[in-house]
Amino acid sequence: MKKNKLSKVFGLSLLALTSSGLFAENIVAMKINDSIAGIKDDSELWANAKEVQIKLYSQTTVTMNDKITNDKNSDVNSYKVAKIKALYNDNNEVAFLIRWKDGTKSVQEGYKTDSYGDGFAVQFPTNFSDASKLPYIGMGSEGREVLVHLQKAVPNVYEPNGNGNVELQIGRKNTNYFNEELKQFDDEVKKLAKVDYQKSFVSAGFRSMTEIKDGSTKADMTMIYNMNHGCWKGIVSRNMKDEYIDLNKSSFPIAIAVWDGDKNNRDGTKLLSSWQTVSLSGREGGEALVSEVSKTVEGNLTNGKAQFEANCASCHITSEMKSAPQYMAPELTNIGGYSTLAYIRESIIDPNAVIVPGYNRNAHKNFEWYQVVDGKRNSAMPSFNWLEESVINDIVSYVQTLKAQEEKK
Amino acid sequence: MSKRQLAMVMDLNKCIGCQTCTVACKTQWTNRNGREYMYWNNVETYPGKGYPKNWMELGGGFDASGDLLEGVVPNLEADYGVPWDYNYESLALGETMTPNVEPTWGPNWDEDVGAGAFPNDNYFFYIPRICNHCTNPGCLSACPRDAIFKRDQDGVVLVDLDRCQGYRFCIAGCPYKKIYFNPKISKSEKCILCFPRIEKGLPPACAQQCVGRIRFVGFLDDEDSQVHKLVNKYKVALPLRSDYGTQPNVYYIPPTEAPAKFDAEGRIIEGSNRIPAEELEKLFGKEVHGVVKTIKSEIEKRKATGKSEILDLLIAYQHSEMFRLDNNYYNGIAKSKGLSAVAPVDTRYVKGLNTKTVSHFSTHANTGGGHH
Repeated sequence: MKKNKLSKVFGLSLLALTSSGLFAENIVAMKINDSIAGIKDDSELWANAKEVQIKLYSQTTVTMNDKITNDKNSDVNSYKVAKIKALYNDNNEVAFLIRWKDGTKSVQEGYKTDSYGDGFAVQFPTNFSDASKLPYIGMGSEGREVLVHLQKAVPNVYEPNGNGNVELQIGRKNTNYFNEELKQFDDEVKKLAKVDYQKSFVSAGFRSMTEIKDGSTKADMTMIYNMNHGCWKGIVSRNMKDEYIDLNKSSFPIAIAVWDGDKNNRDGTKLLSSWQTVSLSGREGGEALVSEVSKTVEGNLTNGKAQFEANCASCHITSEMKSAPQYMAPELTNIGGYSTLAYIRESIIDPNAVIVPGYNRNAHKNFEWYQVVDGKRNSAMPSFNWLEESVINDIVSYVQTLKAQEEKK
Repeated sequence: MSKRQLAMVMDLNKCIGCQTCTVACKTQWTNRNGREYMYWNNVETYPGKGYPKNWMELGGGFDASGDLLEGVVPNLEADYGVPWDYNYESLALGETMTPNVEPTWGPNWDEDVGAGAFPNDNYFFYIPRICNHCTNPGCLSACPRDAIFKRDQDGVVLVDLDRCQGYRFCIAGCPYKKIYFNPKISKSEKCILCFPRIEKGLPPACAQQCVGRIRFVGFLDDEDSQVHKLVNKYKVALPLRSDYGTQPNVYYIPPTEAPAKFDAEGRIIEGSNRIPAEELEKLFGKEVHGVVKTIKSEIEKRKATGKSEILDLLIAYQHSEMFRLDNNYYNGIAKSKGLSAVAPVDTRYVKGLNTKTVSHFSTHANTGGGHH
């Protein structure tokens, strides 16, 4: 009885939401004539670029095994807003300014074992010629790779650098130096310390993320914390084209993730957006991508929910339906927040197209999300292409509503 | 699962808690570069809180259905204790000796404290701990980057520092808390079972330096190895906290020999044992009772007949008889990969399933002796 009532209220509020049209807005990169390589946050060039708000949702697909982190991030039912501006020029350069609220500046610093830094990342598909087959939002998927630029707030860190200067990689007390010589040693070590934690990765799904260390892709990234507003500004600038991606089109997809160090965020414990679109001002022909990525469907939500319960909920957990075993399949509480319509539909009809690799294969052996047959991954999920088209439509429209509905306080 | 498994057996009846193993490991691997607080090898007193503090309560490992359990990443100040140092250089100037940070906890903070009422039934014993190089490692299972791997050739569990991003889920996942975060390089590091030494015919530093000769090292599938005999043949060596579900490969001869208790008048209670059986059961499982019986009956047998292979093994008359490092095996692997063979730097311990030719005497001739 109570459940019935609840679902009615739920259904109503969903209707209200869909009709209010709160869907992702296209980001328009403003064309400028100036150089934008290494652009700063306070540059006047940003002034006339239009700021677009995008929503960042808690990643719930997998739950990591850190108890304190999980406790700190138990609120998955509110989203965070990031504000983004974009610029480009004819010199093949593009830049993004991203702002997001974070009440605490966290820098992973000092001699600590459980401190974590704030951070942000931008993600681009390596191929988006077919906008209905974008890579999986969670770091891509097999055959649909992504390029990720990551920036974390860290102090100087020193990594063994492969230059063979091992004599500088020992504790100062293990040296034979005293006085002036010891100071020189300290200076040398400090010089080797990296003052930045900026990395680029290519990835084809969870666990496959691999750092690009040969300099074949480059981005300028900075993070600046505004104490007065309790807000981070992240700036990314890069060439539109390199051997991994080519953004020099009329429009291209982008996705954003942020990490809150104060909540022990790192890796999968993060907030992420769905694929967003950026169109380059003054260029024709980008509409197809924009409309495909922002497409929604309006089916019968009541039937969609019932069909979801009947067909999906025995494996997938959502914030409302929790009957499935915990590690059996991707958790879908925020799936509507970070998925495109095309992805949801494709997952139902052709689960093998994008297989979410999920947990470490040794962590939850009873629930393999895929089997490897002749070197090829086969999803554990059967295809639901036998469902009637209208039923699939209803399920997809229901799944699109599975996301946090309130902004984080 | 790896093809072969290198294992260690530690005889707790012989451990005197001298920390020589700890120092051997520390000076070899962890006294620098952000590893200062790490103890890849430590010796803790049981009962006690251990290192990190209360590690048995910090989660990780697997439940009965095989699912990885939640765990905690210990805090440096509260759980490990910040390594401190003293102002030795200022003592000559008349300053008082003071630590540079207020000591709060450390690797042998509660050494020799134990439990019970002195002198009637107080007790403690030592447990040296290294990474267990588990068959089903919690750290490996927790890693979202597949940065931790188990070597096929000997089951040594290692971190690929190139892939590691310093997320620290491995630390939460290891129920023994034997993988550590290096804040200087922002990556996880752990005991490597001294694999560069092993491949060159040297036992792990902790095992070679052990003055009590408590540590045996060899391959479990090598039927002539001491570890095979103690673990599989005589079944007197048991893994620590096997209930965590990680299938550890460091085995312990439980402390079967402890003094008897005293009664209120200070008289020996004949047949009593200060170490409570339930504590042993908590650490080593129900099998521990059988082990206690076996060891006791072997001691009786030795008294009666002068013979006992188990006791001969455990006494370890020759240091070189504690290790079977199978150099030919590693060389075979190197050869199959087109790498140059690794010549042993010390041939005393070079024997094993695939290395049968080195005789005890020729070994000594080759190395110009060697201590016993």
